Amino acid sequence: MSKERMLAKSHFRKNKGSAIGIFCLMFLASMLLSLSMILFTDTYPTASKEAERLNGGDGILFFTSEKIQVDDAYLSDLLDGVKEYELEKALFYSVVSMPFGSGEMTNGLKVGRVENTTSKKLGRTEICEEDTSITGDFIYLPYQFKTSGGYHVGDDYKLTISGETYEMKIKGFLNTVYGGCNNSGLFESCVSSDVYDRMYSKIGAIGEASFIVFTLKDDVKEGAFRIRVLNQLKIDDPLADVSMNYLSMYISSRTFMSLIIAGSFLAVTLLVVVVIILMIVNSISNYVKENMKTIGALKAIGYTSRNIKGSVLMMFLALALAASVLGVAVSYLAAPAISSVVIAQMGVPYSVSFSLIATIVAISTVVVLTILVTLLALRRIRKIEPIVALREGVESHNFRTNHVKLDKTPLSLNAGLSVKTMLHNKRQNIITFFVTGIMVFFCVIALLMFENFNLHPNLSILMSECSDGAIGFDAETKEEAEEFVRSHPEVKNLRRYSETPVYVGQEESLYLMIYDDPTRMNNQDTCYKGKLPSHDNEVSVSGKFAKQNGYDLGDEIKLNVGGNEYSYIICGFIQSCNNDGHEAIMSEAAAAHIVDLDIMPCAFMFDTDKDEEIDPFLKACDEKFGDHVVISINMLKSIEASLITFKGIATLMMVMIGLISALVILLVLFLLIRSLVFSKRKDYGIYKAIGYTSNSLILQTAGSFMPTIILSVLLFSVLSYFVANPYMQLIMINFGLMKCTFNIPIPGLIIISVAMILLSFAFAVLQARRVRKIEPYQMLIAE
Amino acid sequence: MNEIIKTQKLCKTFSNGGVQQHVLRNIDLSIYEGDFTVIMGASGAGKSTLLYALSGMDKPTLGEVLFAEKNITKGTPDELAIFRRKNCGFVFQQTYLVDSMSVLDNVLAAALLVEKNKKVAGEKARKVLKSVDIDENLWNKFPTQLSGGEAQRVGIARALINDPKLVFADEPTGALNSTTGKDVLDVLTAANERGQSIVMVTHDITSARRGNRILYVKDGEIAGECDLGKYVSGDKERHLKLRDFLGGMGW
Repeated sequence: MSKERMLAKSHFRKNKGSAIGIFCLMFLASMLLSLSMILFTDTYPTASKEAERLNGGDGILFFTSEKIQVDDAYLSDLLDGVKEYELEKALFYSVVSMPFGSGEMTNGLKVGRVENTTSKKLGRTEICEEDTSITGDFIYLPYQFKTSGGYHVGDDYKLTISGETYEMKIKGFLNTVYGGCNNSGLFESCVSSDVYDRMYSKIGAIGEASFIVFTLKDDVKEGAFRIRVLNQLKIDDPLADVSMNYLSMYISSRTFMSLIIAGSFLAVTLLVVVVIILMIVNSISNYVKENMKTIGALKAIGYTSRNIKGSVLMMFLALALAASVLGVAVSYLAAPAISSVVIAQMGVPYSVSFSLIATIVAISTVVVLTILVTLLALRRIRKIEPIVALREGVESHNFRTNHVKLDKTPLSLNAGLSVKTMLHNKRQNIITFFVTGIMVFFCVIALLMFENFNLHPNLSILMSECSDGAIGFDAETKEEAEEFVRSHPEVKNLRRYSETPVYVGQEESLYLMIYDDPTRMNNQDTCYKGKLPSHDNEVSVSGKFAKQNGYDLGDEIKLNVGGNEYSYIICGFIQSCNNDGHEAIMSEAAAAHIVDLDIMPCAFMFDTDKDEEIDPFLKACDEKFGDHVVISINMLKSIEASLITFKGIATLMMVMIGLISALVILLVLFLLIRSLVFSKRKDYGIYKAIGYTSNSLILQTAGSFMPTIILSVLLFSVLSYFVANPYMQLIMINFGLMKCTFNIPIPGLIIISVAMILLSFAFAVLQARRVRKIEPYQMLIAE
Repeated sequence: MNEIIKTQKLCKTFSNGGVQQHVLRNIDLSIYEGDFTVIMGASGAGKSTLLYALSGMDKPTLGEVLFAEKNITKGTPDELAIFRRKNCGFVFQQTYLVDSMSVLDNVLAAALLVEKNKKVAGEKARKVLKSVDIDENLWNKFPTQLSGGEAQRVGIARALINDPKLVFADEPTGALNSTTGKDVLDVLTAANERGQSIVMVTHDITSARRGNRILYVKDGEIAGECDLGKYVSGDKERHLKLRDFLGGMGW
């Protein structure tokens, strides 16, 4: 073994530059791999782990009803099939605009008394940060208000509900299973008794909802239980505002962005791993070529192929081990910054902990791949005969053709020589072509995310309907309110809207969005196949639901709610991220077959010519109808707040992918040009001897990679433009987005392409500068 | 005769592990236009070092080299490269053709540095290749497909293509057998007869006979000089004169 170690040291000394380059790539791969694994195995499951720790049960049911007497007898009948449950009475606002960061977050809001909220045993709500010295009017907000909204304990918080403003201090933040994240549609908060009483006196008993966290018996099916309970409640009180969801849905909606980030990290990591494999193969191939004489000499004096292979393997193995250990160590330094973006969206207290799996996977992947690739690439050493190696493989036949004849080519001398170099280095150029191309693809994905989640949020994909504002009224007032709303000339394009859960058979449910006329919706793109319903027997259902249950266009679907059932024809498929991708749209005329619209509250979605007209109009409605206003949303502000976390993630992805792309291209060009200059050092000496300047040789060398890079950038830019949306669709399909039509701005694409070409050229010129060090005289006397 | 090169107190010292090795010592030398100057000497005497110092390929430690009255010892590497492309041709022992380029392109790669018109450069390259007896069917072959003699003649064609003021040849027959060596020397002699100035380093007496002026380098100095006059094939007296001179130098 000592002779192999001696040889390995000698290889390292001779190939120090390449070894360092490969070390950097290995380091990058192991760091990204470890980060992805930390995100997958530690960060991503945090919400699940916390839910388990907080004894989250199987789901939550909450409803408001004036008619139903919620007592133990009623609940034991209603919740037949439940192993255990816990009831908390708290105020419930179905839609509230809450100040959040620089905007307003529109979401459902639960407001409890501190002592009730924090003393639950099932579905516990834990205070994770507080200042006990704060007295008076205070509020505990979900932890997401800190991680994403930027609030701190002690800050003032002003909440306006139905025209009434409550000014409070933030006393602390809550870690909660069911109301911790805006994506899950409900924020859980708790306030001081005084504030609670004031809110209660304003909203009345109708606003105090029953929140029931439950655990099902093992043999009870979730879907059937849900439909039975919700139908029973609608039968008991048709006016009841009812909602029920399972823990899995909350966790999925809470973690879907972290899954996308972890997936993106993994995708980039896999690419870097592929690049490393290519570079190791290339490096070993160059090593064998450049050290043919040494290998021949070693074999001649008695070294076996096994000894030589063992020594090369030892060098790469040492590099892989050192790089991967360092990469994993650095990943733990970077993980808090990246996790913080994920956690901002999740709203769960979290600190990175050591993940044995992440460490083992990251190190073993890099090490095992290095061993395999090195052994594969070293196979040719066995075939090298010592005598041939000592002659450096004398060529007796050569079937090469001269593709670029210097006197015939229209190219300039330097360009012609660059092309010759390019053709002579096909393998290196093929590697460059694919590495650059894949980097372009990931940059286009980053551009897509930045454009659609940050610069110009693509709401038509993320939301089923877009409007500037929405105002909702209870059933009692809605007719009078409609007249009032329509009398305002600044309010345009009114769409009347209601919503209710409906059921398919005994186990499936859909969230039904009812419009007076769905064909007048702003976001016609929400229907990606077929059409939006226009007749009273038509319904458009979400593509995810249709796919899961085998429905096709034209199929009949029986929907039921509160004992009413009607058969509809599926006329279109819609896409939506909300409600786990289980949504449907129909007209009021169609909905009238199963629901009594007269007793349901309804909202009006509207647009305005000027953004500043929204708030005065909403205020006018609040003043006129007071408590009868059930929803009052400035959608533009609400979207601004909701997008805060998406913007952070999109920016992180853009910066991360941009940096990794630049780094990978830099390392690849470093390794390729370094080996090119080394293998052609004799030629460079000759060129210099006959009168070529260093600058012209640098340009030739850098230029020899440029046709490949330009071709790759152009080809992959165009390809990415068409492939990016289907690629995103593959990721987003699980969240209900069945057809992605994200905008890819052509100017952005051009900037990426030009930047990639210029950056590559700059890197190539920088690397090719090592040609300067070649002195013709030194080269001549060295031979 | 006109001087092409004039050196003043030319010194070259190498430092190896702290030990100074004086390879060239205060050489004052002139190279004249139209001459076939041969530099001889024992191994390690400094003849190749002198050749590359004269051509601007290597920088002297002290002293000056005036090439066509221009001091080339002070130029940057790139200035010297531009200077070489216009004024110098090189023929090396190992030929040093670019393996990835065809025979014609090897010559054109030098020609196009000076002549921008590709058609003119191409015609000139073909003419030079013919003049060194490189058959047309070899023009599109690659250096590894040529014999040693053929490759060296292509090297001479490349050296001659820009009509340099001076061709420097460093042991041009050193790697060749006697027959192919003679062919190469014939080509160089023919070029000299056409007026091309040549400086050749050799330790082969048969090759040295081709020169009209022989310089003998010993311990980094010009130890002696011999004027052989115009080369005539089969001139036995010339051979004896050279042998006597070399004998006197301790050859």
